[in-house]
Amino acid sequence: MATTAHAPAVTHGHPPTTTGLDHRKIAIWAFIGSECMLFTSLISTYLVYKGRSVSGPFPHEVCNPPQCATTLKPILNIPITSVSTFVLLMSSLAMVLALAAVENKDKPGWAGTGAWGRALASSKLWLLMTAILGATFLGFQAYEFTSFVHEGLTIRQNLFGSSFFTLTGFHGAHVTVGVLWLLTLLAIDMRRGLGPKDALIVDISALYWHFVDVVWIAIFTLVYLIR
Amino acid sequence: MPADSRPRRLFRAALTVALASLIAGCVQNPNSVFHNRTDFNRDVGSLFSLLIWLGTIVFVFTEVMLVWALIKYRSRPGSPRKPEQTHGNTKLEILWTAIPAVVLAIIAVPTVQTIFKTQGAARADALRVEVVGHQWWWEFRYPDYGVVTANELYLPLGRTVNFALSTHDVIHSFWIPALGGKRDLVNNRTNHLWFTPDSTTDDAFNGYCAEFCGISHANMRFRAFTVTPEQFASWVAHQQSSAVFHPQPATPATTPGTAGAAAATAPRTPVAVAPAPGAQPVPPPTAPVQAGFVSFPADKMPNHAIPKTPIPPGLAVDTTLKGDPARGMQLVSTGACIGCHTVKGVPSMVSKVGPDLTHVGSRLTIGGGLFPNDTRHLFAWIKNARAMKPGIQMPTMGKGQYDPIVKTTLTVGYTDQQIADVVAYLQALK
Amino acid sequence: MATAATAPAAAQKGYEHEGGIWSWLTTVDHKRIGALYLYTALLWFLVGGLEALVIRIQLQGPNGRFVSAEMYNQLFTMHGTTMIFLVIMPLSAAFFNLLIPLQIGARDVAFPRLNAFSYWVYLFGSLFMNASWLVGAAPNGGWFGYTPLTSTFSPGLNIDFWVLGLQILGVSSLAAGFNFITTIINMRAPGMHFMRMPIFTWMAFIVQFLLVLAFPVITIALVFLQFDRFFGTQFYEAAAGADPLLWQHLFWIFGHPEVYILILPAFGLVSEVLPTFSRKPLFGYPVMVYSGMLIAFLGFGVWAHHMFAVGMGPIADTLFAVTTMLIGIPTGVKIFNWIFTMWGGDIRFTTAMKFAIALVALFTIGGISGVMHASPPADLQQTDTYFIVAHFHYVLFGGSMMGLLAGLYYYFPKFTGRMLSEKIGTWHFWLTFVGMNLTFMPMHWSGLLGMPRRTWVYDAGQGLETLNLMSSLGAYIQVLAVLVGAYNVLVSMRRGVRAGNDPWGGPTLEWSIPSPPPDYNFAAIPTVTSRYPLWEHHAPGTSDIPRTISDQRVPTAKELGIPMPNPSIKPLFVALFMTLMFACMLLIHLGKTPLAIAGIITCATLMTFSLYSWLLTPLEDEH
Repeated sequence: MATTAHAPAVTHGHPPTTTGLDHRKIAIWAFIGSECMLFTSLISTYLVYKGRSVSGPFPHEVCNPPQCATTLKPILNIPITSVSTFVLLMSSLAMVLALAAVENKDKPGWAGTGAWGRALASSKLWLLMTAILGATFLGFQAYEFTSFVHEGLTIRQNLFGSSFFTLTGFHGAHVTVGVLWLLTLLAIDMRRGLGPKDALIVDISALYWHFVDVVWIAIFTLVYLIR
Repeated sequence: MPADSRPRRLFRAALTVALASLIAGCVQNPNSVFHNRTDFNRDVGSLFSLLIWLGTIVFVFTEVMLVWALIKYRSRPGSPRKPEQTHGNTKLEILWTAIPAVVLAIIAVPTVQTIFKTQGAARADALRVEVVGHQWWWEFRYPDYGVVTANELYLPLGRTVNFALSTHDVIHSFWIPALGGKRDLVNNRTNHLWFTPDSTTDDAFNGYCAEFCGISHANMRFRAFTVTPEQFASWVAHQQSSAVFHPQPATPATTPGTAGAAAATAPRTPVAVAPAPGAQPVPPPTAPVQAGFVSFPADKMPNHAIPKTPIPPGLAVDTTLKGDPARGMQLVSTGACIGCHTVKGVPSMVSKVGPDLTHVGSRLTIGGGLFPNDTRHLFAWIKNARAMKPGIQMPTMGKGQYDPIVKTTLTVGYTDQQIADVVAYLQALK
Repeated sequence: MATAATAPAAAQKGYEHEGGIWSWLTTVDHKRIGALYLYTALLWFLVGGLEALVIRIQLQGPNGRFVSAEMYNQLFTMHGTTMIFLVIMPLSAAFFNLLIPLQIGARDVAFPRLNAFSYWVYLFGSLFMNASWLVGAAPNGGWFGYTPLTSTFSPGLNIDFWVLGLQILGVSSLAAGFNFITTIINMRAPGMHFMRMPIFTWMAFIVQFLLVLAFPVITIALVFLQFDRFFGTQFYEAAAGADPLLWQHLFWIFGHPEVYILILPAFGLVSEVLPTFSRKPLFGYPVMVYSGMLIAFLGFGVWAHHMFAVGMGPIADTLFAVTTMLIGIPTGVKIFNWIFTMWGGDIRFTTAMKFAIALVALFTIGGISGVMHASPPADLQQTDTYFIVAHFHYVLFGGSMMGLLAGLYYYFPKFTGRMLSEKIGTWHFWLTFVGMNLTFMPMHWSGLLGMPRRTWVYDAGQGLETLNLMSSLGAYIQVLAVLVGAYNVLVSMRRGVRAGNDPWGGPTLEWSIPSPPPDYNFAAIPTVTSRYPLWEHHAPGTSDIPRTISDQRVPTAKELGIPMPNPSIKPLFVALFMTLMFACMLLIHLGKTPLAIAGIITCATLMTFSLYSWLLTPLEDEH
């Protein structure tokens, strides 16, 4: 370096970032921090209102007259939600594989040479798989919501209904955005192919996806499992 | 004597002026929080004095230091273009981290003590008063005595009063600056506040809603009267009684506008006698309860407790009309009033939406402490309450009046004569 | 490493931007976006001030009838909402935009188009909120919007405008927060490690964390309120067993950090102004940084001191009293460090310096009254009275606004290339200072003498007449001050003295480049070796206001071969469709639900389309 104080040389191109990381990587972490506060507020509200509903249906308790016109069973279906939770967890696994496939695109045969190896190295397959598993989760949620409405739990019914649908609905909206994001990546992959230089944008979507997944673990534990 | 040296005389003069303005201040500032008339306000007041003294010391110290620096180090011709470039001083910085910490510790200790003292449980023998906030008036219930009243609170001197605060609609806040408070009235919970009016005489105090509660938040006021235990007992006994006005079927039609005169000209009617404005109340001869003391005497009302809200300019009041309380009762007990109001002893009047009117004639204010309870204001209130207090449920009643909420002019409604009758009846409800 | 930072070249001509409306609509240049923030916020300052003026006319005497009760409630609600969300926050954003890249030696922010998006969302959101005046339904529930008054008991569009408007504005703040966090972490010039960062950027950095952590909480509180109002949920419905204190907790978990969001940028600005005009470095820079962090951190743990009257019980009261008092310590440290920055210096009383000193003097008063209501029993007699109004105006006007005005006078050359008139500025300062104190000092007494807040009228004979008259007279003086200030800005923009690079002799990188700076800011990215790189080259406070401007034109980015982001209209479109999408919700309460749904779907589609088109277009041309 031999610039002088009074005649600095013009710097062409972009200077390197301070941390060496891409801007988007830092921004997504800031975004996730912010999202944590969003979901903390939603989950806290659910917990604060737990057991305060003056009429049924209730999540874990039987609702007897006079609180309800007829006796209502506890409404949460834990076995079915366990399945959908498993589906969402598997989608995170698929996301990891998709990222690995993109990162290693320039190393043919890195995952083995057989049919399995080729499948493992296919970013399109894993992006699609992640999106499908995400969509399946949303399908489960749609089923759950409709069956709840049939059993008399709407968003207007009681405090449980309001806080439950808003919390899980916000999470569902995040999954929906994630699925759209994955499908966009898939479209780009189909059109021009994603390679190691694109690893960053896949990495960022993966961070988002895993975050949404982790939030679901918290919701599943606090809303469904803990009575 | 050196004691009379000029600076000393000046100092003494200044001290006198300061003291005088302080005392005058207390007279002119009826709602000051520094009156120390209850145990609550004394506790808060001594904490407050500490805060004010420490605050003043810190303020003077800091500002003097600032101004000193500004004067001493102002740029002058010939001052150094590059003063010594100090970057900090660890010792100094530790010092002024420690000073605020010590000051705050001095505040924190009595703060915590006062928190636990003022928020502890009230004495078991305390007078229980339930305060219910409504948009925009106050309901006061004395559950031990079965008394329900509105906007006027009677407190016996020397006895601890324990308020149970709740709300009918939105969040309000209960505050009598000179006695104590404030404490919010929050849905789905009952808050408590207690104090003992032990350092005052019989007096009247202004109370307010202190939490924004909608369009007429500023108009949600009340009065608190501190009275002797004997007066309180008398007041309670009177409040427990049913309405004191029972008309005979054939009352002479012409009764004067004020109930006091009504009693004079219609002796067969058991009307409670209303005092002429400013007169000590006379025990009504035929009242069911022989109450010596039925309300705080109007002539003892301090100026600050008498509301001065003006009547809207367009609202014509005819106080020359003579109202007939019997006809008024007919109108009230069969008309729109039954939708909202209670008058104990009148079977049709049991609704709890609005204030209980059983003894409305004995109150000193109307409209949530907004107007004095005299013929002129009561007349205007019945005629068009909504023009006098924005947003309220109490409908516009006068024929030809403009209802500012429905935004129409009434084609049906009370004539001025009918309003005078209603006023006469309400004033008879001592 | 051979050099320290760039020394200023002498008397450079300011950079000349291309003009025209289109260049402003599509700009992604942080300095021009900063200028847009500045002028928009100053316009809303006039509106918010006008609202305050009407309030003071109404309260000039007892039982005033200048405006109706309903109008009064709309006025104080909009005055608070406007001053907080449409004036102080965006004025701070104006300085964030202008200064953060300049102070850290960067050529732009990390996401220039996102930055433009933030501004357009703010503009459209503020227009949406104020459009409520045009339909006669301005928000009327207070800036704090307590439920159930704002949920069950407020039919009509008033609160809808408020809820939706705040949601829109929140998007702006969040987007800006992510952007500046990334910018500060990732775009500092070589050698500028964190403890060499200019103190304003430090405060800005802390504020961004407060923004991204506090705004989601109010977003959720508002979502609940919005759902209650539009979809019949029961979050704040007392009859369904709801606790209205849920709103208060969520609101103040946001609301108290918000206080520091409003004050820390001003702290940062005066921490730049005081050293320059004392010709001395900031006293105790590390402590100033750590105290800022501590204030922000503790700021998340004190929210319930706004709720001492709700009956939380003695234990919660004690807890929040103690944490609140703790915040007094780092704040006190800041005050003393500012005084000692001036101590031993060579103080020049420029207008910027006067405003900065006013912050130190007046914020002290607000800080002391703040400690008074940290004590819950004493607070019971203060809360919801004019004592509180006095307190937070000493903090927000005496603190934030004074600091921002100091910043305006100090940095006006960087925005426009010209100096504000010092002569008019002196009038501006003294009128503001006297008017401000005459307005707000008597309110301490009105409050303690029993005057509740947010009251349309007060009765005669309560000992409040003189105090309120004084406050109103003070407000009229402030009107004069604002007019003088506005005149100064308007005249100086065109005819002010041309500033050179460094009209004040400032210490930090922004003063090493022309005023206004070229779009690429730094031809060469400087290398930083100290906190005050420019003072290595000249004595502190040695200004170079040029008598003659060199004719040498500042070269363009293209001539220098510096890659620059392309202008883009897309952020504006995304912001516009997003705002319209929220606005369509109003149709639900006008009884036109199908139209509302159609409108929302249309706007959402257009917004998504614009967003994709933005994201799939590279920021720069290939090179």
